[in-house]
Amino acid sequence: MAEPRPAPASPADAPVVDVRDVSLVYAGDRGSAGLRALDHVRLSVAKGSFVSLIGPSGCGKSTLLRIVADLLAPTAGTVTVGGVAPKAARLARQIGFVFQDPALPEWRRILDNVVLPLELRGVDRAAREARGRELMRLVGLEGFERAWPRQLSGGMRQRAAIARALSTEPRVLLMDEPFGALDQITRDRLNMELAAIHEETGVTVLFVTHSIREAVLLSDKVVVMTPRPGRITRVIDVALARPRKLATRDDDAFQDLVREGNRELERGYADAL
Amino acid sequence: MPSEPAAIARPPLARWFPLVWPPIVTFVVIVGLWQGAVSFFEIPVYVLPSPVRVWQAFWAAPTTLLGHAGITLFEAMSGFVLGSALGALLGTAFAYSPVLARGFMPYVIAANTIPVVAIAPIIIIWFGHGLASKIAVTTFLSFFPLALNMMKGLQSYDRVVMDVFHVAAATPAQRFFKMRLPSALPYVFVGLKINVTFSVIGAIVAEFVQADRGLGFVIMTTYRMLAMPRLWAAMIVSALIGILFFALIALIERLAIPWHASMREPQ
Repeated sequence: MAEPRPAPASPADAPVVDVRDVSLVYAGDRGSAGLRALDHVRLSVAKGSFVSLIGPSGCGKSTLLRIVADLLAPTAGTVTVGGVAPKAARLARQIGFVFQDPALPEWRRILDNVVLPLELRGVDRAAREARGRELMRLVGLEGFERAWPRQLSGGMRQRAAIARALSTEPRVLLMDEPFGALDQITRDRLNMELAAIHEETGVTVLFVTHSIREAVLLSDKVVVMTPRPGRITRVIDVALARPRKLATRDDDAFQDLVREGNRELERGYADAL
Repeated sequence: MPSEPAAIARPPLARWFPLVWPPIVTFVVIVGLWQGAVSFFEIPVYVLPSPVRVWQAFWAAPTTLLGHAGITLFEAMSGFVLGSALGALLGTAFAYSPVLARGFMPYVIAANTIPVVAIAPIIIIWFGHGLASKIAVTTFLSFFPLALNMMKGLQSYDRVVMDVFHVAAATPAQRFFKMRLPSALPYVFVGLKINVTFSVIGAIVAEFVQADRGLGFVIMTTYRMLAMPRLWAAMIVSALIGILFFALIALIERLAIPWHASMREPQ
């Protein structure tokens, strides 16, 4: 769906998310050095691409995602989303965020949860419910419009959270370990559905995960990070053919990429210790 | 789909029956034992009137007793509404201003511990002998539970849900009305249910101290005359208005927060 936007002066191939030399230092107690959560991070995410951030706990991948969403401010460096600062992009509802916790307010039925961002924007009821039903079809939740969140399984709740994040047609979908709390079978299934949604909507995705296999399966690029200080050590291009299937994981090319990612992660550990 | 959600339709009468019969059986057994004990041990009426005597005392002048009950219920409900509303406002102010909360909270808690029998005479001196002083006592009692629960409720929102609202560019008013207030409602109902009990107690105690109407007045005068069956009747009516009032609030709660875990159908 095309809609007029306050288009920033950027060419069509400009990155949707551009992170330039970003550092974030959590202030220490009384003069101590403080924790360097991110150290001179550079990253650009091309329009329509799927990029994963991977690394051990404490490497700053979630922190980076929160900075892009204007939930945190960097100590140094700049970030743009669609050519503007994260705050402007957020206020223009250009950012969709899926957290590990589905965070569906329990007093709203599923459809009302999915259309929450549209309601906050002031879209009238008929229009937002039409859009909400369309989104619920997209994520495979048709028929559960009137259910309460607590009546749904964890996987279904996370589908609703994805539909909600997509409701305003954001330029970028930020996902912070969205499937981390799910069992392996549900997780595999949602991976495939996310790939299909990415294909269908063409939305740009920046995805945080602990699983190198999940990252390789879904992504165009896998960004490997190391902790203390949080740094990007390597960007692995994933040139596997699309659409990908769960069986893609049996291919030699897939397994080579996973091995490469694991080597990079282990090297990062060795350096950090 | 992995699983259908459990139905949350209201159960038909047939499904209510298993919930309703145990308390009815308990009631019949207790009243039967009471009547039997009074007859068998020949307990004097001023010590323990039998259920039949209490029933007769009630029916001797049912409208008078219910009239007094109406006065007490009016005082209780008025103070309940006023005190809860004022408490909710103060609780909201506390939730939004930590300085205000720190400054006033110790005194609010201290005031909350004042026994109603100690404060009632003072309030009656201030507000006079009419209904106003009784309503003032119940207002005073209803104030603190709502102030505390409102503050706690408004602070107990889910941080990730707050992040969702932030990313969706919610205004401060939208955050309050669409997130913090709904999160606070289960706490608000805890406070309201406490206030139901407090406000009936407050009204009766205030009538005890000084009144010419109301159930507290009936209890006081029948006690002086040792008209024990009538005193028992007044006591039971006061319990009944408390139960009715409580049922009303519980019904409103069911309609207001059907989504809350406490509203699950009993297993």
